[in-house]
Amino acid sequence: MSEDNLLQVQDLRVTFQVDKHSTFEAVKGISFDIPVNRTMALVGESGSGKSVSAMAILGLLPDNAIIPATSRILYGGADLLKATPERLQDIRGKDISVIFQEPMTSLNPVFPVGEQIGEVLRLHMGMTPRAAAARAVELLSEVGIPDPQLRVRSFPHELSGGQQQRVMIAMAIACEPKLLIADEPTTALDVTIQKQILELIAGLQEKHHMSVLFITHDLGVVGEIADHVVVMQNGVVQEQGPVRAIFERPQHPYTKALLECRPRLDRRPMRLPVIEDFMTSGGSANYDERPRGVTAGDAVILEVKSLNKTFFLKEGFFGKRAVPAVKDVSFKLARGKTLGLVGESGSGKTTVGLTLMRLHDATSGEVLFEGRNLLGLSDKEMMAYRRRIQIIFQNPYASLNPRFTVGNILTEPMKIHGIGKDQKERVEMAFHLLSRVGLPEASFYKYPHEFSGGQRQRIAIARCLTMKPDVLICDESVSALDVSVQAQVLNLLQDLQDEYGLSYIFISHDLAVVKYISDEIMVMNQGEIVEIANADEIYLNPKQDYTRKLLASIPKGWDANRAVA
Amino acid sequence: MSAVLPDNAPPVMHQSPGLWTLAWRRLLNDRVGVFCLAIVVAYVSMMLASYAGLVAGDWNKEKGVSYANPSFLAGAENLEAREVTNRDFGTTAKPVDLSDIDPLAPRYKEWEERAAKIAVTEVKRAETLAFGGDKWGRDVLEKAIKGSEVSIFVGLTAALFATLIGTILGALAGYWGGRVNDFLEWFYNIFTSIPYILLILAFAAVFKRGLDTIIVILALTGWTGIYRLVRAEYIKHGGREYVKAAQAIGASHFSRMFVHILPNASHVILVQLSQHVVSFIKAEVILSFLGLGVPVDMVSWGTMLAEAQNELVIGKWWQLFAAGASMAILVTAFSMLTDSLRDALDPKLK
Amino acid sequence: MWQMIPTLAGVILLIFFLFNWVGGDPAQVLAGKISNPEQIANIRKQLGVDQPYWYQLWVFVQQVFTFDFGRSWSTNEEVSRILLTRVGPTLTIMVPVLVIETVLAVALAVMVAYVRGSLTDRTIMVICTTAMSISFLVYIIFGQWLFGFILGWFPVQGWSESYWRNLTHYAPLPIMLAIFVGLAPALRLYRSFFLEEINQDYVRTARAKGLPEKTVMMKHVLRNALIPILTNVGIYLPSVFVGSFLLEVFFSIPGLGREIVTAVNRSDFPVIKAVTVYLAVLTMIVNLLVDVMYKLVDPRVSFK
Repeated sequence: MSEDNLLQVQDLRVTFQVDKHSTFEAVKGISFDIPVNRTMALVGESGSGKSVSAMAILGLLPDNAIIPATSRILYGGADLLKATPERLQDIRGKDISVIFQEPMTSLNPVFPVGEQIGEVLRLHMGMTPRAAAARAVELLSEVGIPDPQLRVRSFPHELSGGQQQRVMIAMAIACEPKLLIADEPTTALDVTIQKQILELIAGLQEKHHMSVLFITHDLGVVGEIADHVVVMQNGVVQEQGPVRAIFERPQHPYTKALLECRPRLDRRPMRLPVIEDFMTSGGSANYDERPRGVTAGDAVILEVKSLNKTFFLKEGFFGKRAVPAVKDVSFKLARGKTLGLVGESGSGKTTVGLTLMRLHDATSGEVLFEGRNLLGLSDKEMMAYRRRIQIIFQNPYASLNPRFTVGNILTEPMKIHGIGKDQKERVEMAFHLLSRVGLPEASFYKYPHEFSGGQRQRIAIARCLTMKPDVLICDESVSALDVSVQAQVLNLLQDLQDEYGLSYIFISHDLAVVKYISDEIMVMNQGEIVEIANADEIYLNPKQDYTRKLLASIPKGWDANRAVA
Repeated sequence: MSAVLPDNAPPVMHQSPGLWTLAWRRLLNDRVGVFCLAIVVAYVSMMLASYAGLVAGDWNKEKGVSYANPSFLAGAENLEAREVTNRDFGTTAKPVDLSDIDPLAPRYKEWEERAAKIAVTEVKRAETLAFGGDKWGRDVLEKAIKGSEVSIFVGLTAALFATLIGTILGALAGYWGGRVNDFLEWFYNIFTSIPYILLILAFAAVFKRGLDTIIVILALTGWTGIYRLVRAEYIKHGGREYVKAAQAIGASHFSRMFVHILPNASHVILVQLSQHVVSFIKAEVILSFLGLGVPVDMVSWGTMLAEAQNELVIGKWWQLFAAGASMAILVTAFSMLTDSLRDALDPKLK
Repeated sequence: MWQMIPTLAGVILLIFFLFNWVGGDPAQVLAGKISNPEQIANIRKQLGVDQPYWYQLWVFVQQVFTFDFGRSWSTNEEVSRILLTRVGPTLTIMVPVLVIETVLAVALAVMVAYVRGSLTDRTIMVICTTAMSISFLVYIIFGQWLFGFILGWFPVQGWSESYWRNLTHYAPLPIMLAIFVGLAPALRLYRSFFLEEINQDYVRTARAKGLPEKTVMMKHVLRNALIPILTNVGIYLPSVFVGSFLLEVFFSIPGLGREIVTAVNRSDFPVIKAVTVYLAVLTMIVNLLVDVMYKLVDPRVSFK
């Protein structure tokens, strides 16, 4: 068996020297093998040590990383951890190559892409500049970039995100490596692009007979492409095995939890299972289905009529260029229901949210809240409505003022809107809301930097609740969170809706999450509405091509019928 | 969802350390930083003591013979002292001829007159002084202390004013953008397109000389760098979600500018303040040297260096050394403290 | 290019404001103690300061564009002549300083960044910090004394009519001192630019390709670090002026710096005004050139 392994990781430990006195152990003695000509997935949430492990293979860790002598990474009979720098340079890019999460920053901004690909060929294959340039064109065409002759001369910023990642892939396969390490290669990309890139990697793996080490947090992707799976959590391997075994007979509660807490397209339980359910009780994920949908009889709380938003970019000294971001968008939000807003980046979905609560000035249109046009109100009149429409942002690390205590954060809106008759009452309300969103009351005295991403998002939710809003806009509010935390926050949002009758506009690029939480779904593309329908309806019976394409791109996860080599 | 976290013990109701407290703790952990802080504090207390007249109060008294040797060089010959006593004050030949452009030239007479006046009442002069004496036999060490008072005072106040101007304008431009930004950028471009030494000279040409003038000049010409950085911070933070969230809850513009964003830009401002103290101390020295700085009846490191230029050629190095070294120590400590401050305040570290 | 016009207008306004408004009545300055009211009125008329402000401003604008600032108040020399004869020596000092220092600082910064974190790196940084804290004046005084007076390698001061003799004989010591003083801060700054770039993702990619560390540094990092360095050369220009001015005063070099220091001491407004305006224009032109070069170095900034 061992001769079938291309690379063996044995008892790998990685410790980071944080400062003079403290260290942080990111990887705690893991072992796994990468078989020849197979795709191996390394799955885990943030902080699991998956990327660190992969970077250790090529010695690409930062200078403050310490690896003990007992750790070994065997490749071609030698230990890579003890290889000379020259030997490592030989292997990098030739035998083992890497693609990264952020193609934009991973390519050198000042060199044309052809030069960056040619550089590897000249270095490892001894090609002449002319031959390397010609080969770069072939490689670009192989990874599916149109007009490769023209594109070799492009600079990275002139390409789209998907094309940049294709260039990275072309660079990585240039020397026919035996192993391709793909570190979250599709996380920064739109779902339709993700599908194309995944297909490209799978095709190349087969064609060039290479092994792939695929690092991801997304089990849906794993189920589609991997042969073997390693599940990591907090620096240890919780479970590993063939993909079929992992998906059909998961042994470790963490694996089970990861598989269950991600919303699924085919089911909609009353609440999502969370990790604790599995870690403590072994987890029985039997929940009733939740009915969803909007009927004609539902009361409308918010109506948007032909909303337009155009941005003006400064061009030259006096010139301006108009960039329409939202074009003629109209919809209704029913009281106590959730409207999902999906689309890829640049679809204008976030702009709709910001514009309708006047964080941006609309170019034209009406936003009728209980019959009054919010866009026509003066700033003073708007104040009374501000508290009734609130928003939760995407990035939990940026949405709380780092210099405020949680107490300041929660009492500030109450002070502004005169909620609570004195400070004492406001503090009491803040305490109450903190426990309502599942945080200890002592959080009141702490600063945001002491909380995790999920906890910060709870604080942001509590801040909105202080104003007792009617409408809550969730702008990618769970997108930056790990799967397990995501489930908890989604459950909290659902509980709050059930309890207070809140109406949500739920903006997300994640189709599975939107399907789970929404009654009605609005699909947007390039600033325009593609389709609006009830959630189940749109998934079962999409009317528009774009919707169909979008739905087809969702990673399907494990399919028992998939042929695994 | 796991309802309320199990919290059997009563919640601990004390304030957590804020970012400032944490930064302060980090700074205290940095041995170099603490050492530099101690030096800076020592200098500032010396400045205050000197201001209160506790030390170096009589720096202007002529205690020793002309160019009195430092105590540790007591035996060295002092030709000049003899010469000067013999010839009366004044006409020491200047080995380097700077007459037509020497900015101090017009003042020699004035100084000499005053020196002559005091000389009449002179009783007995020491042969040596702790760190030597200058041409008129004044104690160089006391001069250096008194000089540090002026230099540090000018550096600190001018930096405070420049930071204030830069912060307010930067906040306005960065927060409001649009027309306000265009106007302030125009203003900024004007001030930066004139090399600042010219700007200083131009201001110096039209204002009367004095300590207040030099502070005003340095502040009016030195705000541009701070403006630029503060503006960048405001643009960066203005787009952050916590500021949008503040807008969403209805916080006023004033509150967003100064309650929300300002504390988050304050580390940049503090580091800039500290950097500008250093560069203004350097600038004051140069201005005083050129005769555009402190008035004649005051001493600063710059005027000391101006005198030292001619003394070095006749081998009297101690005034140059005293002024140069006392300034170098302070400035090194201040720069390294700035580095430590930046490390301690850097939000990337948390 | 067109952005220069509002800035230039602002510079003219600022200088006008300073000298014609804040500066008080130049006639008083000019006439000195001996003047009687009649003489003052006469001088005022001669200088045009009895005219309304808008007219004085118009005259000033005309002066700027016709290069005719009249005569110096103290030496009666034509201001345009003063400018023309004084600009040569200043450039003789400034240009070599700017060029040599930038090249030297970039080269040293690459080397220091390459051995970042090592003892060499830390030692050099401490030396830089200390070197930066000593006043420019001390360097000049000491350098002039050591190299000129004691060792006699260079003349202590002076200037001649011959360009080559100046460049080979009188200029080296001041240039050397200026470079010595300017090197430490530049090195520190450029090193930080390099370290910033080294942490970027594309450097990891370059290493993952198997490029030797030297190539990573000299090709990928250097090329990107040139972008902030170039910006900084523009920002740094004014400090070169300061250095050049001081050196001119010390070494009796008949340049613009010495001229303006003398002019300030004599309240010779036409000379100060002219030097300030034209050096501001020069600075703007240099910044414009930097902008053009910036666009050559950074493909993300496009020509319009």
